[in-house]
Amino acid sequence: MSGGIGSDPLWYKDAVIYQLHVKSFCDSNEDGVGDFRGLTSKLDYLEELGVDCLWLLPMYPSPFRDDGYDIADYYSIHPGYGTLDDFREFLTEAHARGLRVITEHVLNHTSDQHGWFKEARSSRDHPRRDWYVWSDTDDRYFGVRIIFLDTEQSNWAWDPVSKAYYWHRFFSHQPDLNYDNPAVREEIWNVMRFWLEMGVDGFRVDAVPYLIEREGTSCENLPETHEVLKFIRARLNSQFEAKVLLAEANQWPEDVCAYFGDGDEFHMAFHFPIMPRMFMALRLEDRKPLVEIVERTPAIPETCQWGIFLRNHDELTLEMVTDVERDYMYEEYARDPVARLNLGIRRRLAPLLEGDRRRIELMNGLLMSLPGSPIVYYGDEIGMGDNIYLGDRNGVRTPMQWSGGWNGGFSTADPERLAQPLISNPVYGYQAVNVASQQRSDHSLLNWMRRLIRVRKSTRVFSRGSISFLSPANHRVLAYTRSLDGETVLVVNNLSSTAQVAELDLRALEGAIPIEMFGRSLFPRIGELPYMLTLGPYDFYWFRLRWL
Amino acid sequence: MARATLLTDDLVRRLIAVGQVDVVVGLPTMNNAETIAGALQAVHEGLSQHFARARSVVIAADGGSRDGTPDIIGALPSGARDRHGGLRTRHQIVAAYRGVPGRAGAIRLIFTAADLLQARAVAVFDPDTDPLTPASIGGLLKPAGPDSFDLVAPVRARHPLERLLVTQLIRPLVRAAYGRQLDEPLLTEFACSGRFAAHCLAEDVWDRSPMREGIELWLAATALSGSFKACQTCVETAAAAPSQRPRPGLQEVFTPLVGSLFAALDAHAGAWQRDTAPEPVPVIGVEVPPPADPPAGAPSGLGGSFAQDVRDLRPVLESILAPETFAAVAAIAEAAGAEGPSYPDEPWVATVYDFVAGYHAGAIDRAHIVKALMPLYVGRVASFVTGHAASPADEVARDLETLAQQFERSKPYLIERWYRAS
Amino acid sequence: MTQLIADAVSQAWTNFLESVVLYLPRVLATLSIVIAGWLIAALLRVFTRWTLRWLRFDALSERIGLAATLRGADLSPASVLAGSVVFWLVFLGFLLSGIDVLGLTALQGLVAGFGQFVPRLLVALAILAIGFVVANFAWRATLLAAVNARMSSPRLLSNAVRFLILILAVAMALEQIAVAQTVVLTAFAIAFGAVMIGLAIAFGIGGGAIARRFLERQFPERSDSDTDRVSHL
Repeated sequence: MSGGIGSDPLWYKDAVIYQLHVKSFCDSNEDGVGDFRGLTSKLDYLEELGVDCLWLLPMYPSPFRDDGYDIADYYSIHPGYGTLDDFREFLTEAHARGLRVITEHVLNHTSDQHGWFKEARSSRDHPRRDWYVWSDTDDRYFGVRIIFLDTEQSNWAWDPVSKAYYWHRFFSHQPDLNYDNPAVREEIWNVMRFWLEMGVDGFRVDAVPYLIEREGTSCENLPETHEVLKFIRARLNSQFEAKVLLAEANQWPEDVCAYFGDGDEFHMAFHFPIMPRMFMALRLEDRKPLVEIVERTPAIPETCQWGIFLRNHDELTLEMVTDVERDYMYEEYARDPVARLNLGIRRRLAPLLEGDRRRIELMNGLLMSLPGSPIVYYGDEIGMGDNIYLGDRNGVRTPMQWSGGWNGGFSTADPERLAQPLISNPVYGYQAVNVASQQRSDHSLLNWMRRLIRVRKSTRVFSRGSISFLSPANHRVLAYTRSLDGETVLVVNNLSSTAQVAELDLRALEGAIPIEMFGRSLFPRIGELPYMLTLGPYDFYWFRLRWL
Repeated sequence: MARATLLTDDLVRRLIAVGQVDVVVGLPTMNNAETIAGALQAVHEGLSQHFARARSVVIAADGGSRDGTPDIIGALPSGARDRHGGLRTRHQIVAAYRGVPGRAGAIRLIFTAADLLQARAVAVFDPDTDPLTPASIGGLLKPAGPDSFDLVAPVRARHPLERLLVTQLIRPLVRAAYGRQLDEPLLTEFACSGRFAAHCLAEDVWDRSPMREGIELWLAATALSGSFKACQTCVETAAAAPSQRPRPGLQEVFTPLVGSLFAALDAHAGAWQRDTAPEPVPVIGVEVPPPADPPAGAPSGLGGSFAQDVRDLRPVLESILAPETFAAVAAIAEAAGAEGPSYPDEPWVATVYDFVAGYHAGAIDRAHIVKALMPLYVGRVASFVTGHAASPADEVARDLETLAQQFERSKPYLIERWYRAS
Repeated sequence: MTQLIADAVSQAWTNFLESVVLYLPRVLATLSIVIAGWLIAALLRVFTRWTLRWLRFDALSERIGLAATLRGADLSPASVLAGSVVFWLVFLGFLLSGIDVLGLTALQGLVAGFGQFVPRLLVALAILAIGFVVANFAWRATLLAAVNARMSSPRLLSNAVRFLILILAVAMALEQIAVAQTVVLTAFAIAFGAVMIGLAIAFGIGGGAIARRFLERQFPERSDSDTDRVSHL
């Protein structure tokens, strides 16, 4: 047990974040659903993994028609997961182990089962009526794109109770809150304050671009939306320290940057466009897409940080790519149309990379060495598989595989009772892929991930340093330097499935001795001539450069 | 040793960087400063449109340009960080080839690079000939590949009275000998599969005359003679200003091309002397009708010196032609009027075949044999052109077909002369 | 008295017969050498003809035009001729060696001279042969080039080229075997020089127009040529 969390207000810039779904992590009371007590029992595992922060998917009471993102009560814990006390206990234990916790905060909408909506729809004159966005016709905000293309045909839904349309950017059972109403803003802040006072270290804010609607616009990224966010952040700054707001805004980098404001909106935001390009670069065996998107990413305020990730609980979104690129990704990564959903691919990391250990290592190496705070999705550290035949995106939210035994160690309930079926095929099933067996082997993916995280955290260059790309003539090699306060790390990646040679122009680093960071081997000193490196298939090197 | 110095160190390093590719597009350059930028633009567009997902590289093989062509190419945007908007990095290389400047050296470099890079398809374009369009690039490259066609030749719509050297001599001879007709046997641009390129590299023709000077004919003949699949694709002749370069005169082109063709026939004797039925070469794409207007009329007096030439060359012709053929030619010469001889199909075919057989026998110096054919060719051209001065295009085309059939019918005569001579 | 004369005569006869007897072996040796030489030369002639036939020398001589010339001069074909040359050279060699054995001083020099002569004769023959080949090649090349370039009187030009080269070769051969060296040299120089001066005068004065046309044809503007006004490619 480490000495608890510190008080560094910029802790999130150096954090390695672990995203998990309480429902699927560990069940302690035999009801087939993961809960906080089970999660608490696994905190030692997470501490050993080396992550700094846990991000929990929504744990609020909910009819679970969108896996918890349709919230019915902001001030409570879903009974299936436990009680508020269980949650407090979990928080304490996590902090004691140096693990911070951020939770979901769904700003944009609630469940239609939420008390507020029930009141709002009950009559047109109810005081809460104005908390949602109503219309008598469904042609307002015409032309705004539909996000869940596979299920919804319109952004308006008809409410038979109050005989009016209500606005919903997501599922029709998730009516949008009306942020033009100051009461809504205040109440939402109250919700946040409630959890922050309990000890939660921050929020991942869902669906931020869609808060405000205006006629004649795309209803995304509007200036008024930013006003709301500045308001929230101002409140946060005035009352709390060392808390983080992480924005989910699936936009081009220059548009996401707006959500950092001048350092007065979000602390962190996901860098969505980089993620499909990592997969594309790997498949194309060409660094071009990746280099282009990183170079296109504008600078962000000093206190802000990107969140980068390989996979998450949603589909691998292909919204922020061109049509040509999307077709390519579909053809290369999702031949089976069942795997495609909502302009994305609903597969886990390991199946996407065909279980190839080297590719998995390379992608994680990229994740840990590119600028931003990396987010690891639960189960990807052991290479879990997926089930594309489960509905929606449940295929990537199956129970965590702890052992090869009963229910994979997730729960002692009857297997038939599990909320989600376990992955049980011979390749990715819990008998083959599980924490217990990987802990026993030094060379398992799990132990490799631990080492990777340890090496990444051994220096701040990765989390806070600048990035500068090298351009060797061989386009299959992606090479860049990370620098911070005179310390420099050279990263070289071979994106190809075949051995490659790279000649790097390292004249700016002449005289340095590269020391490979995993094995601490010394490499020849950098001279004037191009530095030649040979790399095996999907190899990568991290070199700490020392001038001695 | 020659192979060892074929690729410079710098080129090797660049090829290492390119790695395995699917498509190689080669451009032999020699003082093409005016046209190279447009040509490269068309190539990149064509690749982006038709081969967006393929790994590709564009290689300009330069024979020692003095007008800065390599610098122009180097300045054009490409390389690892180009912005043409495609999925992949596309490489662009300028490399100088050693040895005698000419298409053979350039094509050899391109083929060698394609072989090293394991390309599935290789295309060679001329920056000058008929302006390139992205459509023509796609049209030629797409059918080529190890699983489809080994050679893709273009078909351009031309009036039957154009390209007389091709229509009167090269094309029907190739068709009769190899049993397969290529509309355009002079491959100034073509696409081929990687394995065909590798096969051609292994042949010992790149340094030897006369094959070297007429390398494209040699390549076409090789494709038709071996177990290679060939096809033709219709390519639009883009409407653009004709090239500023002077067209080469007959003297410059006759000996290398005809010499190369005869040498090819000599080398492939085993292949084409088999008794195989003629096979058509499939044509892909929509046929564009040829222009109805004939080219500028032939000047009078084209065949005026034919009689004199035959007299002058009598001792040489007697040692090449069969007695009957020589008698026929002499008779034609005697009967030639002021407007030129009347040189019908039959004696022309016999003449050509006697020359082919004579080339094989090598009784006199082979270069001399080829040169001796030229005045007879001029006479035949005069006869054909004046005879068809007022004919519509389809009648000319029909007569060309008749000529080709005459060549085919007389093939046994060629084989008989071939073996009698040797 | 009679006895004295008889003695002297018999003595002389004895001496004579003695010297004859002494000399006879030499004569026999000479004869044997000559006969042997004749046989060997004949063998070599057959061998040479057979080898040349095997090497297809006759076909070669056809190619370089030698056969035509020999026929024109009513000589036998090349391989036969070569065999005869070999025969006579070898036989002559043996003959002269045989005579040398006889020890006749007057003829000694002849043998030595012959020994020096033969190599030069062979070189001269080689020069002639090469000259023949070159002349023939040049004749044909000039003829074809002239016809294809539409020059006037191509036959005249090509025959002139051949003639000149042959003359040169003959002169060089004659100098090799040192036959009438000075005469040949002078005659050749005069003839050659006259041709050259004549050409120069023709170009410079009388044949200015022809010279200009000739030069224009040598460096023509391609598009003007008739053959190039039709489309060949």
